[in-house]
Amino acid sequence: MSTTVNTVLGPVAAEELGVVAIHEALLSVVPGAQYAYDIDIDRAEVFEILKAKLEAFKAAGGGTIVDRTGMFHGRDLPLYEALSRTTGVHIVASTGMGPEENLGGYFLTPQTNPPTPWPAERFAELFGAEATEGMVLPRVERRAAAGLIVTTQTTAGATPTDDSLLQGAALAAKASGVALSFSAPANTLGALELALAEGLPADRVIVAGLDRAGAADIVRAVVERGANVAFDHIGSDERGQSDADLLSDDERATLVAELVAAGHGARILLSAGAVGVAKGHDAPDTAYDAVLTSFVPKLAAAGLDESSIRSILVTNPANLLAVKEA
Amino acid sequence: MTRVNTVTGPIAVEQLGFTSIHEHIGYGMPGSELDTRWWKTPEQRYEETIPKLRKFAEYGGQTFVDATGICNGRDIDYYQSISEKTGVNIIASTGFVGGDTALKHFAEASVEYLADQFIHELTVGIGRSGGKAGIIKVGVSRGFKMLPLDLRIYRAAARASLATGAPIITHLAVDAQSAIDVFDEEGLPLTRVLFGHADDGVSQGKVDEEGIVGAGGRIGFDTFGYDLELPDPPFWGRHRDERFQHLMRYLRSGQIDKVLVAADANCSPLGWPGVKGHTINYLFEQLIPDFKQDGVSDAVIDQLFVGNVADFFSTTTPLEGE
Repeated sequence: MSTTVNTVLGPVAAEELGVVAIHEALLSVVPGAQYAYDIDIDRAEVFEILKAKLEAFKAAGGGTIVDRTGMFHGRDLPLYEALSRTTGVHIVASTGMGPEENLGGYFLTPQTNPPTPWPAERFAELFGAEATEGMVLPRVERRAAAGLIVTTQTTAGATPTDDSLLQGAALAAKASGVALSFSAPANTLGALELALAEGLPADRVIVAGLDRAGAADIVRAVVERGANVAFDHIGSDERGQSDADLLSDDERATLVAELVAAGHGARILLSAGAVGVAKGHDAPDTAYDAVLTSFVPKLAAAGLDESSIRSILVTNPANLLAVKEA
Repeated sequence: MTRVNTVTGPIAVEQLGFTSIHEHIGYGMPGSELDTRWWKTPEQRYEETIPKLRKFAEYGGQTFVDATGICNGRDIDYYQSISEKTGVNIIASTGFVGGDTALKHFAEASVEYLADQFIHELTVGIGRSGGKAGIIKVGVSRGFKMLPLDLRIYRAAARASLATGAPIITHLAVDAQSAIDVFDEEGLPLTRVLFGHADDGVSQGKVDEEGIVGAGGRIGFDTFGYDLELPDPPFWGRHRDERFQHLMRYLRSGQIDKVLVAADANCSPLGWPGVKGHTINYLFEQLIPDFKQDGVSDAVIDQLFVGNVADFFSTTTPLEGE
């Protein structure tokens, strides 16, 4: 079994990751915003902002940041390489895309007659190549391999292309040994079964965005199926995030304690869902270290011992990010 | 004097000379840049592009209108270097090939925002290149029917045209009445609009040419060379003589001032294989000889590629209220 993780600077031994923030965003650019007349992406400024946030994360005890924005939402590999070298924080970048509204016309209305959207197999090929041969710097070269395959389904309900993306991401994960992370707000369990039907083991799947009100039953069903859950809006109530359906950190801590008591501690992942720099969309001003600084004390208060907490922050993500032999 | 923005700065409309009104240095659907199957080295891109433009210039071509909109691989500083090295004027487009090539940021934008984007690119510049757009591109999404986003882009284009004097070229001339209604509502004279691709194979029977011409619009015979006689023609191809005779009907009926002609060729395609054997130089190597064989005079050819283009770019058309 392989024990290395694909970082932007190349493979790193899984035990060197330290505390991992698995669902974060470094530079997040709405597709097309890079061409907007009123949006300036000053890479030197972006570097300074991200550097400060990564240093704060490291100072709080963090070791690895995973950029969960995929391949078409501002991913800037040379920038992330320089940031990782400068700060000493491991950076894992992701491949994948979604939901459909984030895709370019190349995938949706190709120059064929009729313009049939891409099927799962072609997405699998695109994402799989990024996870094995390297992530693309568009029209220039491939760089390091992707460490996570991500997709998101439309909040109101999956489109046929959303399902193709999820199936393609699952196929790519199965073939490459890189884990899959998806969110599917409208039909989480249906989406999980769709992904698993491609033959991907459940323990290689992370279901994102499950720290929402009313989702506790879904969380239990996901872990009982053997897949992993991510509570990835940690700190949202402290920063006054407006989504009414997000849990508070106290509620999250209670849910984590319940899952650990039920023997599902190995299926839990925690992240702040912070956006380092957002272009073309609003994002709450939040820190990558929210889990370490404000949530760990709540977990302790909820009765988790130090080793359980360390397992959630270090061991679980290391197991997921370690590339499995296909 | 009417000024026209090329990527290397404004020129007088009189300096345009022989112009192909609808071409592409390289076109790729948004997202195609992520697919390595289409990648080319910079050496290859220049090798595919420069000889075609040098030949175009040798034949007497002077100006190349690039119809590649925002998000489709438009690359202004690359165009600047090509223009400087070949001497061919390149006019870049603002706008979009169609709603289905506008990425999310623009797909969700208001008419006002889109108009501001187009006006900025026409008057201030595109990105950090310093080059300005000289024309506005709009188009119909796949399916031959205007989508709400297509209509927002057309409306924004009309406002940008009125604000700057830049003309509009369309991708496809189908569902023309929807476009005419938008331009009428915005008060844009239809002489400022070239309804493009009226000559392609898949649009036949779907273009209301009389309606467009009757409203004052111009008809684009701008896919010359996508002939079904090619070894591997695209799905929008058409028999060579059918297209030629279609254009000749305009010339013979005294409607030469209503048409503009181009090849819509890619010098070096970005996100598709392109069409082997088709270049901008079809205009000189096939079409103009065909004209001469049919007895079309040099003066008429000159009007098609020089006079009509200058008229299209000229803002002498009185605007409402002036």
